Amino acid sequence: MDLATLTSQLHALGEEALPKIAAAPDVATLDELDVAYLGRKGGALSSLMRGIGQLPADDRPRVGVVVNEVRQAVEAALEEARRRTADAALAARLVAETVDVTTPGRPIARGSLHPIVETIGRIAEIFGQFGFVTYEGPEIESDATNFQMLNIPPDHPARDLWDTMYVDVEGGLLRTHTSPGQIRVMHTESPPIRALLPGRCFRYEAVDASHASEFFQVEGLMVDEGTNLGDLRGLLDEFAHAMFGAGRATRFRPGYYPFTEPSVAFDVGCLVCGGVGCPACGRTGWMTILGAGMVHPVVLRHGGIDPERYQGFAFGMGVERIAMLRHGIGDIRVFLDNDLRLLEQFR
Amino acid sequence: MRVPLDWLRDYVDLQLDPEALAERLTLLGFEVKGLERWGSEWRNVVVGELLTVEKHPRADRLSLTTVRVGAGEPLQIVCGATNIAPGQRVPVALPGALLPGNRAIERTEKMGVVSNGMLCSGDELRLSVDGEGILILPAGTPLGAALTDLYGDWVLDVDVKPNRGDALCLVGLAREVAAATGASARFPEVGLTEDGAPIDQVLAVHVEDPGLCPRFVGRMVRGVGVAPSPQDVQRRLLAAGMRPVSNVVDATNYAMLELGKPTHAFDAGAVARDASGRAGLLVRTAGAGERLETLDHVERSLSEETLLIADANGPLAIAGVMGGAASEVAESTVDVIIESAVFDPVSIRRTAFRYALRSEASLRFEKGQESRLARIGADRVAGLIATWAGGSVAAGRIDTAPDEAGPARVGYRPARVNRLLGTSLDPDAQAALLARVGIESEPATAGSNVLIAADPTLHDVAVGPGEAREAIVPSWRRDLIVEADIAEEIVRLAGYETVSGKTPDTSMPHVRPNPLELRDGLRHALAAAGLVEVVTPALVPASQAAALGWPVRAADGVPGEQAVDGPVVTVTNPLSERHSVLRRGVVGSLLDVLALNERHGRADVAIFEIGKGYAQAPDGSPAEWWRLAFLLAGSAGPPAWNRPARPFDLDDAKGVVDLVGHVLGLPEPLFTLHADGAPLHPGRAALAMAGQGCAGLVGELHPSIGAAWDLRAERVFVAELAIAGLAGGQLAPVRVVPIGRFPPHERDIALVVPESVAAADVLATLRAAGGTTLRRVGLFDIYRGTPLAAGEKSLAWRAVFAAEDRALADDEVDAEVGRLVAATASAHGSRLRT
Repeated sequence: MDLATLTSQLHALGEEALPKIAAAPDVATLDELDVAYLGRKGGALSSLMRGIGQLPADDRPRVGVVVNEVRQAVEAALEEARRRTADAALAARLVAETVDVTTPGRPIARGSLHPIVETIGRIAEIFGQFGFVTYEGPEIESDATNFQMLNIPPDHPARDLWDTMYVDVEGGLLRTHTSPGQIRVMHTESPPIRALLPGRCFRYEAVDASHASEFFQVEGLMVDEGTNLGDLRGLLDEFAHAMFGAGRATRFRPGYYPFTEPSVAFDVGCLVCGGVGCPACGRTGWMTILGAGMVHPVVLRHGGIDPERYQGFAFGMGVERIAMLRHGIGDIRVFLDNDLRLLEQFR
Repeated sequence: MRVPLDWLRDYVDLQLDPEALAERLTLLGFEVKGLERWGSEWRNVVVGELLTVEKHPRADRLSLTTVRVGAGEPLQIVCGATNIAPGQRVPVALPGALLPGNRAIERTEKMGVVSNGMLCSGDELRLSVDGEGILILPAGTPLGAALTDLYGDWVLDVDVKPNRGDALCLVGLAREVAAATGASARFPEVGLTEDGAPIDQVLAVHVEDPGLCPRFVGRMVRGVGVAPSPQDVQRRLLAAGMRPVSNVVDATNYAMLELGKPTHAFDAGAVARDASGRAGLLVRTAGAGERLETLDHVERSLSEETLLIADANGPLAIAGVMGGAASEVAESTVDVIIESAVFDPVSIRRTAFRYALRSEASLRFEKGQESRLARIGADRVAGLIATWAGGSVAAGRIDTAPDEAGPARVGYRPARVNRLLGTSLDPDAQAALLARVGIESEPATAGSNVLIAADPTLHDVAVGPGEAREAIVPSWRRDLIVEADIAEEIVRLAGYETVSGKTPDTSMPHVRPNPLELRDGLRHALAAAGLVEVVTPALVPASQAAALGWPVRAADGVPGEQAVDGPVVTVTNPLSERHSVLRRGVVGSLLDVLALNERHGRADVAIFEIGKGYAQAPDGSPAEWWRLAFLLAGSAGPPAWNRPARPFDLDDAKGVVDLVGHVLGLPEPLFTLHADGAPLHPGRAALAMAGQGCAGLVGELHPSIGAAWDLRAERVFVAELAIAGLAGGQLAPVRVVPIGRFPPHERDIALVVPESVAAADVLATLRAAGGTTLRRVGLFDIYRGTPLAAGEKSLAWRAVFAAEDRALADDEVDAEVGRLVAATASAHGSRLRT
């Protein structure tokens, strides 16, 4: 074996290997070629290199240069081919993994909160910004707390305003409004008082689209030395704007409750027609959302508060009414029906 | 109250159109709830003149008429009435007319003759109550005019509040209209000619208890002719919603609507005479066993509190509520006694309720009556009867209390009025406002006090010189008693809209804990976990509590949240059996919600409610408590095409309890078998306890309860939990456990135990045996089957060990695991599964 022969064999090996590598279809073929040409034992290059020992010592470094040239060329070709086939494999995988992205996602379980409780929370939040503190009272009250202490004596004609359900516990009745809470708060707190009293109420009332025998009210009470009708107006305006939108018109007009004097009915511009007049507002352009007034001196006295020094206002609103207006609900009965088709809309 | 504007015009000039008037009254405190065009249904009903009236060729009972209704050809109309004659003017309903009761008038053929419309009776038009004959209109009625233009009227439906009995009449409302518009109100002229015998020769009245009847005024009209009232009177009554009866009865109703004064007319012929031949009336309460047939022809046994108008022979009428049939004014009546009295309001109200006879009269009596009206009402009714029914009015009145109280005086401080209202009206401006409703005022006399409350005792305050004024309140304004009443009157007349609003700028109250906080925290967590919040009625059927049998005391053990296992609280006047008792627990209501939604085709239901239970405490007082209840039925998780449906199971329910405990910061709940399962599956019911903060039952509903509720779901999981602070507590802040600096060791320990060993017991043993390095231990698998023997199970636990100050060595952890294995082996006979 002479130098020229070995050199030409080495070059021939390179010329044979490079097209095969270039044509290799996959990594496995490249691995076979790698072993076949570059394998330490039995690889074609290693086999040729065994011939180096037969060369004269002077020629050996020259052959070494050629060996390295060939090895590097083959290695570079293999690396390039590996990168190419990996890219192709990835591309093929991505194509194969294509899905129909238009299908719906997998829904996450999510419940909902009842509009009555949520509306109470919203009312409490709005009045909370004005320092109103939430309290609660019992639902089973007595004639004294539900009526008499609120300036509604027995056999008073105003009792027609509250058809009452009575229960078989001594002197008991189901509260017809949250107003008894006024007295309870006056007994536990001293002025300045800003109180909010949400809760369930009961009336002996035939149920229809706008009347329920069980319903929820929120009572408000504010008592201090100078609290006046203007404060009530200002506060209710803020409430109406927060609840029904900043531009909502409001109206203050006389009402009647035995436990307030003067008494107030508070209207907002019709939420259906905006005030032009429609069937929903009885063509008046207005919807009444709550009753209010300056706490009657008799009620303050029953609460242990000196009506000469202190004065204040109270208001009471039907939660269902607010919720119906807010959510476009036309029938009060849906609240206690709990049809999931309705409730789940509040998700 | 229905207010026909045409009638109201008798007492006040009206310049405003009806809508504007309605708004003005509403802003004055008399809310107009409705504005109705009365008679608008008389479109296509016109005035016609009968030209000919002949017999129908083929029907004896019908007439064939020709009627001229205007310039065109006369109309041929078939008519069944007999009171018609040529020359009369009559209402003609033309084809296309729609009469009251939606009666459509068409061109028809009657027995072979074409009829181009219909001649109308008063009743058919609801213009009078006469349905016998055709309504004959006055001769001068313009031919061809539409009836709605002639007789139609605007009727306001005014909501008169209970404190304003004085305005429950046209005169009272006219006063308010006058105050609102600046017009002046006119009181009706009581034209009365007393041409009969002196009253005390024909009538005697004795009032036994003046407390129940403070004033009784009697008059008598003799020789009346009872007949229908004049047509315009009938029309007014009908427009006001009252049915005409006869000229005498209508006179009492007319005066009541006009003046607010209920009166009653007796047939004097039915009243017993005294020794002097006078009709003798007695006002007394009923005696034992007395009975009376009232005007509605119901024979009533009278309770002893009932105030009566009686004669020597017995009861004639229930005073202020309803007359008796025997003394009713009828066609045969010749002499009429008029009763115009003031009765005790409470007595009348109680009587009206007792007999369920709340009438227009009793409604007015129970609001209190101005004494003066007793006299005026008697005069007015006598005058109307004499005008409409003829007869002579006996001279003078019987009057048991002729002295009429003058106006009341109510002190007020103009500055105090402004302080209450937030206004700055000077005293003269306030006085001018009051004057618009006839309330004069003047400076208070020196030394007089101002009354600020009249209940529970009179409460008045001394005022400085010149500080107060006195309002001189007309006798009809019985609602103005204390200073605040005057303040309301002032702001009402000024207009509530003149009160300018401002946000409150006075001292803020103390901060108080929000009683909704803990409930809200739970609500949000449960909704986020996929449960829908419901709010159900507290009133349930009496049968429900018994049927469900949910043990109220199951939640014992949570301090401050005890339930009372007493009898249910029952409504004594329920609206229906379905809402007759207060529930003791919430689960039954959730079953109702499930049943309702199943009826709508909904199978997957996950709901919760935070609601109250109620019962009678041992001392008879009512008790109320809060509970959290939830229900799971159908598939867990929202249905989806890309996820297999998985039915809810008991572990889901226990998971919800676990979540509740997490929200509340409580120890992990322990579940123990609730052997006394009812109303739960006896093998699938657990008592859950999370420390002392949460306790209750969770389990699968007993199949028999599901059947009782008619549920479709095969398995339903329910729970009801007592929770500390649910009635108004706060959420405890999260306390953070430091994250260890050294890596934890996780070891899995599979313990083979007999089936009878409860996982919770093994867990308790593991926790008790674990040293300080055992951070957590939890069940992650249960295995049954080969190579385990039958009746064995393998509980696989994952234990986490760590120390704060060092990395644990493997052999240290191995020793800990060994201790756990040994402890369970000795406690439960377990062996390590390898």
